[in-house]
Amino acid sequence: MRTPASCHNVEYHLMTHVLAIVAFVMLLMSCKEKEATPQQADETVDTLQTSVKVDEAAESRLLSYEQRQGRHLYLKYCSVCHGEEGKGDGFNAFNLDPKPRDFTDVAYMNALSDVRVAETMSQGGRGVNRSPLMPSWGGRMSKKEIAYVVDYIRSISVKAE
Amino acid sequence: MTKLRLSFALSGVVFFVVLAIAPLKDFFREWKWYQYEYNGLITELPRRVKPAEIGIKQLWVRGLDRIDRCGTCHLGLSEPALQQARQPFRAHPRIDHDFEEFGCTVCHEGQGAATTYKGSVGNVEYWDKPMYPTKFMEASCGKCHKEKEVLRAPILTFGRELIEESNCAACHRTEGFEKQWTPSLDGIGSKVNRSWLVNWLKNPKAYFAKTRMPNFFLTDDEVNILADFLMTLKTFPRDATLDRLPAVLTSGTEPQREKLAELGATRLSEARCISCHPINGRGGTVATELGKVASKVNAAWLYSYMKNPKRLQPGVEMPRYRFNETELAAVVASIQSEFVDYEMEERPPHTPDPSYFEKGRALFKKYNCSGCHELGGMTKAEEMGPDLTSIGAKKLYEIDFGKSSIEQALPSYLFTKVKSPRVFSPTMKMPSYEFTDEEAQAITVALLGSTEEEIPAQFKVQPKPRSTYAPQGEFGKLVDDLACFGCHTMFGRGRLVATDLTLEASQAQRKWIEKYFKIPYSLRPILPERMPNLFVSDAEIKVMVNYMEKVFIADSVEREVRVDQDSMAKGKILYYEKYGCQACHQINLKGGYVGPALDKAGSRLKPGWIFHWLKDPQAFKPETIEPKNNLTDEEAEALTVFLMSLK
Repeated sequence: MRTPASCHNVEYHLMTHVLAIVAFVMLLMSCKEKEATPQQADETVDTLQTSVKVDEAAESRLLSYEQRQGRHLYLKYCSVCHGEEGKGDGFNAFNLDPKPRDFTDVAYMNALSDVRVAETMSQGGRGVNRSPLMPSWGGRMSKKEIAYVVDYIRSISVKAE
Repeated sequence: MTKLRLSFALSGVVFFVVLAIAPLKDFFREWKWYQYEYNGLITELPRRVKPAEIGIKQLWVRGLDRIDRCGTCHLGLSEPALQQARQPFRAHPRIDHDFEEFGCTVCHEGQGAATTYKGSVGNVEYWDKPMYPTKFMEASCGKCHKEKEVLRAPILTFGRELIEESNCAACHRTEGFEKQWTPSLDGIGSKVNRSWLVNWLKNPKAYFAKTRMPNFFLTDDEVNILADFLMTLKTFPRDATLDRLPAVLTSGTEPQREKLAELGATRLSEARCISCHPINGRGGTVATELGKVASKVNAAWLYSYMKNPKRLQPGVEMPRYRFNETELAAVVASIQSEFVDYEMEERPPHTPDPSYFEKGRALFKKYNCSGCHELGGMTKAEEMGPDLTSIGAKKLYEIDFGKSSIEQALPSYLFTKVKSPRVFSPTMKMPSYEFTDEEAQAITVALLGSTEEEIPAQFKVQPKPRSTYAPQGEFGKLVDDLACFGCHTMFGRGRLVATDLTLEASQAQRKWIEKYFKIPYSLRPILPERMPNLFVSDAEIKVMVNYMEKVFIADSVEREVRVDQDSMAKGKILYYEKYGCQACHQINLKGGYVGPALDKAGSRLKPGWIFHWLKDPQAFKPETIEPKNNLTDEEAEALTVFLMSLK
């Protein structure tokens, strides 16, 4: 970049003069760029109470994508014994001894690693030296699906905390 | 000279400043700050993560014709260590698609080429597709996935089910939805009571909360005219006439009728009407409410309908119960004495409008009643409402928001329209289905996904072609008469309320099937729907079982198993100790009841079925939750021997 001190030629100066003016005008024009305004609605006639504006706080309380997928699978495969809320109280639970795990038991669940929970699901109780009444789901659900369910089970424990 | 020098110096300074603006502006780009922030963030992670190179990151997806620069700021998309990080750095959820291959805006919408937050979200002028809010995200799945059940998109799937059930296709052109069966109105004047009809037209849900008939918000005048018009329709389809009521119903003594009603109540409970029909809100959901039916229809219609439903109502999925004359009279007597609406508002007699017939016909046309209901002599007004096949691609300027103050975006428009259909203009004719927020959300998702966007074939998932299975001959007639497809699926056709019968003869033994028709009991006590007792004759059972043994069978499911004490003992150990089958199945009243009880499995099932089922249950019934245990042949055989020993 040239500084004024390095310029002696008059013609050169004239040219930069013109250039500077052009550049300045262009700069001004660029500043004039219109700020986009989304169409404003008339607030006074809202008697309908039908607004569906995104409530960001509510959105963040929603389950994540993985947890939602996990919940879907959980309700299909797990809830009959572990209960819809994960309290180990599904309709089939009272037939079982030992009882299904209560996922709201935060202390117990926090002591388990994700790997261990996934292993129990894919290999069943017998795979991890627990009751064979917990079936193995590795043949039915893919690794990814099991990871979804683990994510969802974690969200149950977090909520209970 | 000094003046000239001074002006040179000044313009030089101005020039310098002007020249400096461009690099400065570039230096202070919004996205650059995110990139610096990201590079700071990753140094705090326990694991080493590759820092971002400063610069625009662009993804060009040729196949789908998208250029997305979202990765410029969303730098941790494929970095598992950033699963919990704050946005815009959080890792992308693990999805079934590789987003490098699909790009971002194909699913999220928004302006892919933008390099500012505001621009990329797309809530800017001249951009029609802002990013979808999370609750409508699954809409994008619907652009390519046209199959019935989209595995990872339960909301989309639910929305499509609702669109089909609500019979949107009656008034709108839709993407692949078929018109549902609804009752024909021919003969309605010989069927219902006028007071009932008036109440029904005013608000159908007051009579039956789960009816598919929407509320048209008719005025009292309109209701009266329409009711008068409909009550003149006395002739049934194909000139069918009502049977004469048996004498005992018309002129029998009170004790006679009481006794008859008692028999009728027994038959009704044996017939398990409640499997399909709700009675005062409790029971099945596939058919209409019965709790107040005696105040709706007259006895002669009821009698004739029970005798042969399809004669008065062609196409109805009601089985023809094999009642004899006395039983039919008894059933009608029982319904008449029990299923009465004592609170029904009686409409006083009134003088009809002199031109009620023409006016009624006009109203019938205006609201496109014939979109759903058949009525002889009325032509169907095809596609009254707007075309919905590309509703998801509607431009903002094409939408009339009326005076409502909702957010000016397509998802909010559709959601509001579905919830309260006439809110944007009082002249709209769409009726209200009274959808809940959850249902409206699902329908919106399904509609948004209907875009008719041109997508290369390799990305599209097409629906399964419709099954063309239609049994013929004696069996075909019985299937039609007994409305088997209403609950059962055969070769891909029918509902899955009850079991899929495609391989029934490979699964169950002949003797057991025959007995089951006589005394249908529920194999799964938790299911609300039970097989009704249709009182079919021995000859009819023979026809059906003979057909099943020829058609509902597959040689690949045959297998001989060697029965010996050794494998039986081994099977027992596998059942109880290794695989814990008793968690879900009962034997001798011990065990869970998620799956069917296995007592007498040996007299019910065929060994080949047990063997192949245990090896891969989902190969036979994809929706079953029976775990697949990857058994060896030896294990499956031992279990088969054990189960076959339970006689």
